Amino acid sequence: MEVLREKVEEEEEAEREEAAKRAEWARTEKMMRPVEVRKEETTLTQEMLRDLEKKLSEIQIPISAELPAFTKDTIDISKLPVSYKTNTPKEEHLLQVADNFSRQYSHLCPDRVPLFLHPLNECEVPKFVSTTLRPTLMPYPELYNWDSCAQFVSDFLTMVPLPDPLKPPSHLYSSTTVLNYQKGNCFDFSTMLCSMLIGSGYDAYCVNGYGSLDLCHMDLTREVCPLTVKPKETVQKEEKVLPKKYTIRPPRDLCSRFEQEQEVKKQQEIRAQEKKQLREEEERLMEAEKAKPDALHGLRVHSWVLVLSGKREVPENFFIDAFTGHSYSTQDERFLGIESLWNHKNYWINMQDCWNCCKDLIFDLGDPVRWEYMLLGTDKSQLSLTEEDDSGINDEDDVENLGKEDEDKSFDMPHSWVEQIEISPEAFETRCPNGKKVIQYKRAKLEKWAPYLNSNGLVSRLTTYEDLECTNILEIKEWYQNREDMLELKHINKTTDLKIDYFKPGHPQALRVHSYKSMQPEMDRVIEFYETARVDGLIKREETARTMTEYYQGRPDFLSYRHANFRPRVKKLALSSAESNPRPIVKITEQFFRNPAKPAEEDVAERVFLLAEERIQLRYHCRDDHITASKREFLRRTEVDSKGNKIIMTPDMCISFEVEPMEHTKKLLYQYEAMMHLKREEKLSRHQVWESELEVLEILKLREEEEAAHTLTISIYDTKRNEKSKEYREAMERVMHEEHLRQVETQLDYLAPFLAQLPPGEKLTRWQAVRLKDECLSDFKQRLINKANLIQARFEKETQELQKKQQWYQENQVTLTPEDEDLYLSYCSQAMFRIRILEQRLNRHKELAPLKYLALEEKLYKDPRLGELQKIFA
Amino acid sequence: MNRLCDSMEPKVMDDDMLKLAVGEQGPQEEAGQLAKQEGILFKDVLSLQLDFRNILRIDNLWQFENLRKLQLDNNIIEKIGGLENLTHLVWLDLSFNNIETIEGLDTLVNLEDLSLFNNRISKIDSLDALVKLQVLSLGNNQIDNMMNIVYLRRFQCLRTLSLSGNPISEAEDYKMFICAYLPDLVYLDFRRIDDHTKELAEAKHQYSIDELKHRENLMQVRLQDERARQEELEKHKTAFVEHLNGSFLFDSMYAEDSEGNKLSYLPGVSELLEAYKDKFVIICMNIFEYGLKQQEKRKIELDTFSECVHEAIQENQEQGKRKIAQFEEKHLSSLSAIREESELPNIEKMILECSADVSELFNELMMLEMQLVEQLEETINMFERNIVDMVGLFIENVQSLMAQCRDLENHHHEKLLEISISTLEKIVKGDLDEDLPDDLRALFVDKDTIVNAVGASHDIHLLKIDNREDELVTRINSWCTRLVDKIHKDEIMRNRKRVKEINQYIDHMQSELDNLEYSDILD
Repeated sequence: MEVLREKVEEEEEAEREEAAKRAEWARTEKMMRPVEVRKEETTLTQEMLRDLEKKLSEIQIPISAELPAFTKDTIDISKLPVSYKTNTPKEEHLLQVADNFSRQYSHLCPDRVPLFLHPLNECEVPKFVSTTLRPTLMPYPELYNWDSCAQFVSDFLTMVPLPDPLKPPSHLYSSTTVLNYQKGNCFDFSTMLCSMLIGSGYDAYCVNGYGSLDLCHMDLTREVCPLTVKPKETVQKEEKVLPKKYTIRPPRDLCSRFEQEQEVKKQQEIRAQEKKQLREEEERLMEAEKAKPDALHGLRVHSWVLVLSGKREVPENFFIDAFTGHSYSTQDERFLGIESLWNHKNYWINMQDCWNCCKDLIFDLGDPVRWEYMLLGTDKSQLSLTEEDDSGINDEDDVENLGKEDEDKSFDMPHSWVEQIEISPEAFETRCPNGKKVIQYKRAKLEKWAPYLNSNGLVSRLTTYEDLECTNILEIKEWYQNREDMLELKHINKTTDLKIDYFKPGHPQALRVHSYKSMQPEMDRVIEFYETARVDGLIKREETARTMTEYYQGRPDFLSYRHANFRPRVKKLALSSAESNPRPIVKITEQFFRNPAKPAEEDVAERVFLLAEERIQLRYHCRDDHITASKREFLRRTEVDSKGNKIIMTPDMCISFEVEPMEHTKKLLYQYEAMMHLKREEKLSRHQVWESELEVLEILKLREEEEAAHTLTISIYDTKRNEKSKEYREAMERVMHEEHLRQVETQLDYLAPFLAQLPPGEKLTRWQAVRLKDECLSDFKQRLINKANLIQARFEKETQELQKKQQWYQENQVTLTPEDEDLYLSYCSQAMFRIRILEQRLNRHKELAPLKYLALEEKLYKDPRLGELQKIFA
Repeated sequence: MNRLCDSMEPKVMDDDMLKLAVGEQGPQEEAGQLAKQEGILFKDVLSLQLDFRNILRIDNLWQFENLRKLQLDNNIIEKIGGLENLTHLVWLDLSFNNIETIEGLDTLVNLEDLSLFNNRISKIDSLDALVKLQVLSLGNNQIDNMMNIVYLRRFQCLRTLSLSGNPISEAEDYKMFICAYLPDLVYLDFRRIDDHTKELAEAKHQYSIDELKHRENLMQVRLQDERARQEELEKHKTAFVEHLNGSFLFDSMYAEDSEGNKLSYLPGVSELLEAYKDKFVIICMNIFEYGLKQQEKRKIELDTFSECVHEAIQENQEQGKRKIAQFEEKHLSSLSAIREESELPNIEKMILECSADVSELFNELMMLEMQLVEQLEETINMFERNIVDMVGLFIENVQSLMAQCRDLENHHHEKLLEISISTLEKIVKGDLDEDLPDDLRALFVDKDTIVNAVGASHDIHLLKIDNREDELVTRINSWCTRLVDKIHKDEIMRNRKRVKEINQYIDHMQSELDNLEYSDILD
């Protein structure tokens, strides 16, 4: 058993190694070594195997094993330029200077770690860190600002932890190599970001220092996702209106002030208690979220980017963590200390104490007490001379003089050995390696995809969780791009099951927002529209099971609101579908804006059609100086009087209240006409409601179709993806090519073979010219005749064959199977066709041949080379 | 055609004829029955057709106040008249009549479409009031002067014109002329004018049109200047300091003062007068500027006041509206509850509750109104105090300035008297070396005469100054009283109106409840 266990352990070991290796190979995409042959497992029984399997499943491969640094042997160095493989004399000199500097430094500060000055590059050549920076301005306008730039670097590269978390790496690769393999450690990240930032004009530096565990491992699980943070609502300060001179005094307040005060006190107590509870709750939560103490706190080496204020309108110094692309204040407690920093011109050592993280550091690089520089004469030594002298006198230590004496005063940094950083448009668009990236935040997960990677246009998805372990999904937000239905964002709330779709302008139904729980019609939903794109000015349509409310804006009839109440559908035969059996409408309420062209007492503000009670209620607008509005109520009931005649209109069919009684409105005729008008309007409104229902159905259908199809639009400027334009372009090219061929043909020199017989460069005599012409013409004539003969021969051959076949058919007609007969018939028709075509060709040739001959003669006659011919005739 | 009808008996437009026409042209079918039942008032009629009726004289139309469209074609009308009351008329058809001159249309300011086709008109005029005229039909008339077209330039909205069948339409230049002079015209003689014709016409008549335009522009500018001056004066008048921004007052002092004018020929007086005038004008200017400044201040005061009052009223109205809305919501639900209730005692109880609600609403609304009245009264009183103070201050200051004027006058008078007496002495002594006009010399008879003459001049001047001062003071005082009165009256009117409105509403509510009660009892 003991032996077995050992064996199993061996197996595990092997498995683990192999897994790691496989992962490595998969990542590096370079299968340099052949796959190792698996060990034979035949000696193990089934049971053992199961046991092994179980054990194996329990093993968790540590994450670090999955992410090995891409090592030298995976990089193809053969294609790299010379500057990568050798050092120029100037670089050699610089390295000497750096060595000297380093020696003096370690002599003067023996308790500090050695400097990170000239790590090896991918070709094992030592290179000074400043020369590894290659300031480059990217051709993409998106990368001009630091935030998008940092975001790009963090998206584009995959993070690899340092081989030894306590030491700077031994190698620092060029940014071009890093870009090629799309992965790197924190030094690679910050070198690349720094190159880009300096290129776009920022005063940026690479920093070698110490960071917290989260920072070094790019662990964002303790950070709130920036997308979930709601922007703080800016509290609008209400401008206190000065009381005007004649503002009326408010009526005297008769409430007891004492009681009010007591009430306020009570309220405050309650609030204080609530607050306390809340705070306690929060504290508890905070406890739970706090990180475990890190044993190596303060020793973990990290590299990030420092941006100093001054250039590009940067108001104050800040750090950028190249892993995440986030910016931090220089006071942030995750940055635990700075060893040194450099840009493309110089190298500085921090001489300040970092006991309190980076909070007390002063980033005045011209101050030689705080920052020891390596090269003199760069633009950062701007501190005035007197101060420098002072510090020199005061400081017993001669640290500031180190490295200076034997250094050439005018020595400046050699040019970078790195090739220009280039990012192809495809790579820029794809961004993340393989176009996909997942970031885990505190209670949230963010997934990103390159555009057009997903067939439904999904570009990012944010999943928010309820708990820290990320098991209960709270809500999902999905962003889309380039969708033909203009869908921009899909928001799914898992707790309420509410889905909200947001659209960009341009949807065929002018949709803006669509929130719903189910795609079934006649359920709770709210659809908002881009009202300017709609003829009817509809802004919003809300639906519940029994009501439908519509809001309008900017209509010529001033309608602002329509609300319809439905009764449950009367059960009919199963045949009738939803469309043919609309729900009966109980009530329609319509509201109108004020029409300035009409007087207020004739301008209807609200009308209610009570369809079930056959009643119509009108409420008019209120006049400016009034508080009551006119009202009118019509009973539409048609009644029959005692004699059986239809009562047209009686005074009690219209009850009205008028603010200013008018004479003409009392008349029955007026009321009758108003009622007739309203009846017509009622019919129209019912129709409108019905149409709205239909429209909802249509929208739902369209949405379902769009969801199913999810076609993406491709810009006409996108030459790579736009199939149509590609086809068009290719067709154009083809046409061009053909055109070219034709031109070549027309330029075919008919005289060339004849001229070649004569010695070149000599002028033709008349005799020669005539001979040439005759030869050419006779040759052409021969060719025409040959062609005619050829066609004739083919024609005859076809005819003969057909005759033969016919003969054969007539002989064997009786014995033929239907299939053979069919075959024969099809052959006949084809042969007839061929014969006919040949005949036509022959005829055409006969017609054209003389013309062609004449044309050639004409051409020859005009040919400048045969100029002699013309002379005679001229 | 109408010539043929001449032989027929002309008819009179009497009440019966109009009633018949209104009845025939009124609503039909069910509505017609109702209309017959109730009778149609002439003032409710919007359109009236009276053609082929042999009418000689337009009459009895004064009741049709709201008429929009009137057709009187194919009659034998000879004179347009009796249309003065039809101010809402938009469409008037008087074609195929015997009209000779255009007249009696001065009150029809809303008229857009006028047809005078086939009449005997020879001159286009008397259409000045018809500023909205769009369509004018004057075909088959006797217009023979092209210059009638120029008259039509004043109608900015005129788009359609027909003049065919007139003597002028015979002229070869007819179309071009009209197109050139009426560039906004779209249809001429029922045909659209194309752009090409327009261009041609413009080119052809460019010089005369330009000249005309130039003249019109000049007229316009002059009118505008006049208006601006009038406005300026009006502004000064509201500040009560008109004509004080110059030597107008000083000149008026000397306008009726013959002695003063005579005395100005005395040696040394003209210089004195000059200096006096300068000083006087400076004081006048001071008064003027001060007046304008004060006017501005009063205006701001008044504006703030009316704004505040308006805000207060608005606020109050909003409160009232909210109260009513709340009430109506409750009322509606209780009404439907009553309708559904079947037990009589319950119904009575609920109705009682409802009426209690109504009276509650009444109390609330009235309380709001009373509160507003009190608040406004306080504000109005404050404003009144302030404005009266301002006016008082203004008067005081003007009076002190006027006193300065008077001082100047007195001073001038003394100087003049001195000069006069010395001159008299010189004359008496006979050593006056200068020539004096005869009428002036006539004054130097003795001391009394000359003193009287100088005194008379002085009195006139003082009187003028006093008059101006009095005028200013009276006018500003009366303005002030009128303003305050108006504010008080407006407030009272507003209050009455609101109380009436509330009462009306409450009455309506109450009567509705009562009706409900009756109907329930009946049921």
